[in-house]
Amino acid sequence: MSTVQTAGVRVPGVLPARIESDADSIERDLMRLVLTLVELIRQLMERQALRRMDDLDDEQVEALGTALQHLEQAMTTLRERYDLTIADLNIDLGPLGTLLGCG
Amino acid sequence: MTQVAYVETTTRTTTEPMPASPTSLVDLLDRLLATGVVLAGDVTISLAGVDLVTVQLRALVSAVRPGVGADR
Repeated sequence: MSTVQTAGVRVPGVLPARIESDADSIERDLMRLVLTLVELIRQLMERQALRRMDDLDDEQVEALGTALQHLEQAMTTLRERYDLTIADLNIDLGPLGTLLGCG
Repeated sequence: MTQVAYVETTTRTTTEPMPASPTSLVDLLDRLLATGVVLAGDVTISLAGVDLVTVQLRALVSAVRPGVGADR
């Protein structure tokens, strides 16, 4: 186990409470769940990369930028395969706003 | 008018001032990543009208460099 302290902040309600599915929609519904989580992590990675830029050399910044571009394109391809927009993945958390940003 | 969001922790309550314009949770999470955030999600998957599984996900997400991005 890593040494990261666990005294963090709990954010409940990140996922929808229920997924009602059937034979025709189950693949898309499960992909929506998976892609929501992946998109959340992808957006966090972009923001963290921005915060780290001052500590990195030019080569690292460029490599990070290229990799993040590829990641964004990969996510777009996956979403389109299942006919899912960012809005489809987004979850309304009421007073906390929406789960995802604009990308 | 300032909107304040309360994000509860297991040991204390933290208030984070939120901008007046609509924001996303990912913006808030990004600022808290220096400390670490536990994302909790419970979802019940129902197939053809039959509840089959409940998945309770807990994900601890932190910045690799603690302190980077923490609002002073």
